[in-house]
Amino acid sequence: MSSMAIFSPKLPTLNPSPSNSYGKTHFSFKPYLPLRPTKKLHFHLLVSADNGSGVAATVEEDTPLSSEEAVGSNGSPVPPPTEAADLVAEPVSSFQDARWVGGTWDLKQFAKDGNTDWDAVIDAEVKRRKWMEDNPESSSNENPVVFDTSIIPWWAWMKRFHLPEAELLNGLTHSFLSTHVLEFTCIECHLTVLHELYAGRAAMIGFFMAYFVDSLTGVGLVDQMGNFFCKTLLFVAVAGVLLIRKNEDIETVKKLIEETTFYDKQWQATWQDDNTKQS
Amino acid sequence: MAAHTVTSVHHPLQSLTQTFKAKTFKPQNMKCKPTSIVISSKLRAAVIGGGPAGSSAAEALASGGIETYIFERSPEAAKPCGGAIPLCMLDEFSIPSHLVDRKVTQMKIISPSNLTVDFGKTLKPHEFISMLRREVLDNFIRLRAKDKGATLIKALVTNIELPLSEKSPYIIHYISNNTHGSLTVDVIVGADGANSKVAKSIKAGNYACAIAFQERIQLPEDKMKYYENLAEMYVGDDVSPDFYAWVFPKCDHVAVGTGTVCSKQNIKQFQGAIRNRVKPKIEGGKIIKVEAHPIPEHPRPTRVRGRVALVGDAAGYVTKCSGEGIYFAAKSGRMCGEAIVRASENGKKMIDEADLKREYLRKWDDEFFCTFKFLDILQKVFYGSNAGREALVELCGKEYVQRMTFESYLYKKIAKGNPLEDVKMAMNTIGSLIRCNIVGKEMVDAFDRKMLLKL
Repeated sequence: MSSMAIFSPKLPTLNPSPSNSYGKTHFSFKPYLPLRPTKKLHFHLLVSADNGSGVAATVEEDTPLSSEEAVGSNGSPVPPPTEAADLVAEPVSSFQDARWVGGTWDLKQFAKDGNTDWDAVIDAEVKRRKWMEDNPESSSNENPVVFDTSIIPWWAWMKRFHLPEAELLNGLTHSFLSTHVLEFTCIECHLTVLHELYAGRAAMIGFFMAYFVDSLTGVGLVDQMGNFFCKTLLFVAVAGVLLIRKNEDIETVKKLIEETTFYDKQWQATWQDDNTKQS
Repeated sequence: MAAHTVTSVHHPLQSLTQTFKAKTFKPQNMKCKPTSIVISSKLRAAVIGGGPAGSSAAEALASGGIETYIFERSPEAAKPCGGAIPLCMLDEFSIPSHLVDRKVTQMKIISPSNLTVDFGKTLKPHEFISMLRREVLDNFIRLRAKDKGATLIKALVTNIELPLSEKSPYIIHYISNNTHGSLTVDVIVGADGANSKVAKSIKAGNYACAIAFQERIQLPEDKMKYYENLAEMYVGDDVSPDFYAWVFPKCDHVAVGTGTVCSKQNIKQFQGAIRNRVKPKIEGGKIIKVEAHPIPEHPRPTRVRGRVALVGDAAGYVTKCSGEGIYFAAKSGRMCGEAIVRASENGKKMIDEADLKREYLRKWDDEFFCTFKFLDILQKVFYGSNAGREALVELCGKEYVQRMTFESYLYKKIAKGNPLEDVKMAMNTIGSLIRCNIVGKEMVDAFDRKMLLKL
């Protein structure tokens, strides 16, 4: 999974419009699914109009939204406050799972061959978070949630996260340092792996990098292992594989740089008058 | 220039000796620095807006010998606001402790999956977040400005005429007690909030705003006990796609609210969602007031033009991530007032745009830009998705993160950290983000598989 997905790829504008802020990444061989619902509208309103079970929204002392104050984006009016009659009480069941005990996963119930099956724990947490997203639940003082992802050891996450990257890097590194014979063997091996398209491409990139160095420097493929320049090139290749997994990631990086500097430009804007005068 | 008194007029044209037609002040006329103009009477300044920004500016101006007028249309109004101020504001602005309604010593942050973290474990006994009523705070600072010599005018400013030349004054038109009035001044401080008339009159440009919406709810005594010294912050796509929802304790009720920039038309649904998330804790409560207000997201394109300076919300000084504005309003007002006093040598000299930019704007940006920028980065990293929010809450559980956060917030200074702990915090941040994003991605993949099966 691309580390670029950490940052929400949304460009701020002066005319904000509704947008789905969840950053999505798609592998190119996955079909596009237009049916994923927007999360904002997929929950139940639980506030009751009755005094006994919820909040009674009956008294509003004054109209807080004057024509001057009731603005959305520089002028559009805010919708009026919700009337009590509009709110309908709907009972929503809370998350249930026999393995979810006391606000966390009972790891004893994930035992497999004497060890904890961390993959199963991750799967269970994925399902729970998805359920919570679709059915937001009241937080509870009596039964607080205490599970956090650091309970699962780092190597379990590495397996989940780095396997595609490891295969890619393996193809790249292997080809860069090996001979033609080994390179073709690697290509053949990688063709059997799920991400064959990327591993094969990586193998070819690796081969051409090695060939390029060989033709420039005369340093043979075997000797390139001990050379500083080659090691640096390898480092650049590794970083590139991790950061730029697809062509689209280059666009993501560009957008990220633009987003990062956008706020600075907003602060600098008032000084542009000076620059215009001086030029 | 003779001293000018405020006159009440029935017809706007009768009292003026200058031409009524306003012309835009053109900064490019000032190609060379004018020679200092010594004026026979004190420099006159008008502060439009009597909130923390305006009152602090007026206090600094009046203390420095400037003839100061504050315009405030509703001095008694309770402004929609979170009402939280940091510890340093109590000291810097000498706010007496009896004005503080509640001292928040505990804070809970709740993630989309309801992971709840106690965020306040490192607070020392003398440390707290002060919760005040805005009408009480604003009134206190405003009256203090009056004590220092500022003239309070309860009025609505209707129009500002810009000067016809470099040396001409500004003319402020206003309505007070159903009577039209006008005031001639040399300098204007625009402290009139997010919908600033002053900003419009100097064509300062627009900015993106978030909408903050909150309901004040009176709780039964037993429920109110839980919120005695505790505030809660909720994050999740259900309560806001790009901000957070809150429960803040007030004097005898709680404020439950949320905000958003990109999805204002859904604010009611987000409000419903936060009420849902806190439902057991506000059960039996009664909504006593509903309010909403725009919150600027970034500074205006122009913050100083001619002899007009914008401060506070009018300038756009609200931080990302936390939406903090009161302290920065008061601080910018004071800095601007002090800048005018310095540049005019206690009101003896006329000032110009360059003075305002050098003495106020440059100093402000140098001191606070980094803070604002850092919070912008935090918002981008952690508020953009549920995965980011889960990571944020996990990190908030770490004591070092809590200590650094509160020290920075309470004292508005870069907290003195430990390099080794900083590295650990950085590694934890990356770790949390990666783990939570893996889970987030798998949630999406699981949904995709489900839809594929259905198809």
